[in-house]
Amino acid sequence: MTPGRFRALVSAVLIVGVVASAALIAVGFAGSLMVGWQGSLLGRGASAASASDFGGIVDGLAALRPVAIAQAGIVVLIATPVVRVATSVAAFVLEGDWLYTAITLGVLAILLGSLFLIR
Amino acid sequence: MTLGADVGVFVISIAAGLIGALAGVGGGILIVPALTLLFGIDIRLAIGASIVSVIATSSGAAAAYVRDRMTDMRVGMFLELATTSGAVCGALLSAVVAPGVLYVLLGIVLLFSAVQQALRLGEELPPATVSSPLATRLRLRGAYPDSRLGPDVPYVAIRIPLGFVLMAGAGLVSGLLGIGSGVLKVLAMDGAMRLPMKVSSATSNFMIGVTAAASAGIYIGRGDVDVTIAGPVALGVLAGAMVGARILPRLSNRNVRLVFLPVLVVIGLQTLARGLGINL
Repeated sequence: MTPGRFRALVSAVLIVGVVASAALIAVGFAGSLMVGWQGSLLGRGASAASASDFGGIVDGLAALRPVAIAQAGIVVLIATPVVRVATSVAAFVLEGDWLYTAITLGVLAILLGSLFLIR
Repeated sequence: MTLGADVGVFVISIAAGLIGALAGVGGGILIVPALTLLFGIDIRLAIGASIVSVIATSSGAAAAYVRDRMTDMRVGMFLELATTSGAVCGALLSAVVAPGVLYVLLGIVLLFSAVQQALRLGEELPPATVSSPLATRLRLRGAYPDSRLGPDVPYVAIRIPLGFVLMAGAGLVSGLLGIGSGVLKVLAMDGAMRLPMKVSSATSNFMIGVTAAASAGIYIGRGDVDVTIAGPVALGVLAGAMVGARILPRLSNRNVRLVFLPVLVVIGLQTLARGLGINL
């Protein structure tokens, strides 16, 4: 993989993450103006959960609740740097740069480890 | 929040994203005081939103910086090894270390660094050096395009062990105190490793998202990320960061330092004040 294509790939990962996240948050925000943050775009009853509780995100998405749609946007935003690091591992492998493959794997291991640490 | 407050938060977040993208820092210095002082939002939720804003600044700006060769990805990945391990240690230590004196120490370090930065205000590029065996082995050298200086301005990282240790310290401090990670990264790359200011800023921007992502889960788990606040913040910051990333390549290194210096002074004063028990 050439350095130019490596850069294009990492840049593309960041753009996709940022655009997807912004779109979800914007749709959630627009929805909140129509039915309220806790309402449902499918016309189901309002949820009682707080906007800072990410536990109900799956059920909320199924009911098209603006709060859950925007929360999904925040989750995509937070996942983007992690996916970027994972992509870099693959790109360093394709470049045959084993030193940086090891360094980047180390970063990814610490990142994923920190997610388990907090549970 | 009312729609008017949402619009206000959005506009301030655009400014935070713009400044963050240029200075290589997250937007926290603007976001937290604005949310608490102007909109009366609880400090806990303001900090939760600022963590989200750091990731938004980083990804929003880095998409362009990586493509435009402003970010040095090898320098970034190498130093992320130091910052992420430092950040995890800091998060673990935060349960046993009293932060008060740390805030004071960090504040003093940042204000001393501000003096050093001020003395360097006229400098466009660091003095040219030859590549050390370590820099060659780790490939911590490269070239970036500069609209004024030419399509390939070469640079080499020096004092790599010092830079690595400082980065681990930056991670430790941001894991412990939740602040200062961006400014310390710029200071380590510009001050210790003597990379060009624009490369330092763009590479710091690239890195802060990873450091913040490592701790964002903690804040969500605690219920500190309220999407009705963090949502408008993220949208505004993303927009501001994408604009900032288009401005940086056109600025001189001197002017980037001129943006960075006041940010450094404000963060230094905020940190010192917090250590002395004054909440700003």
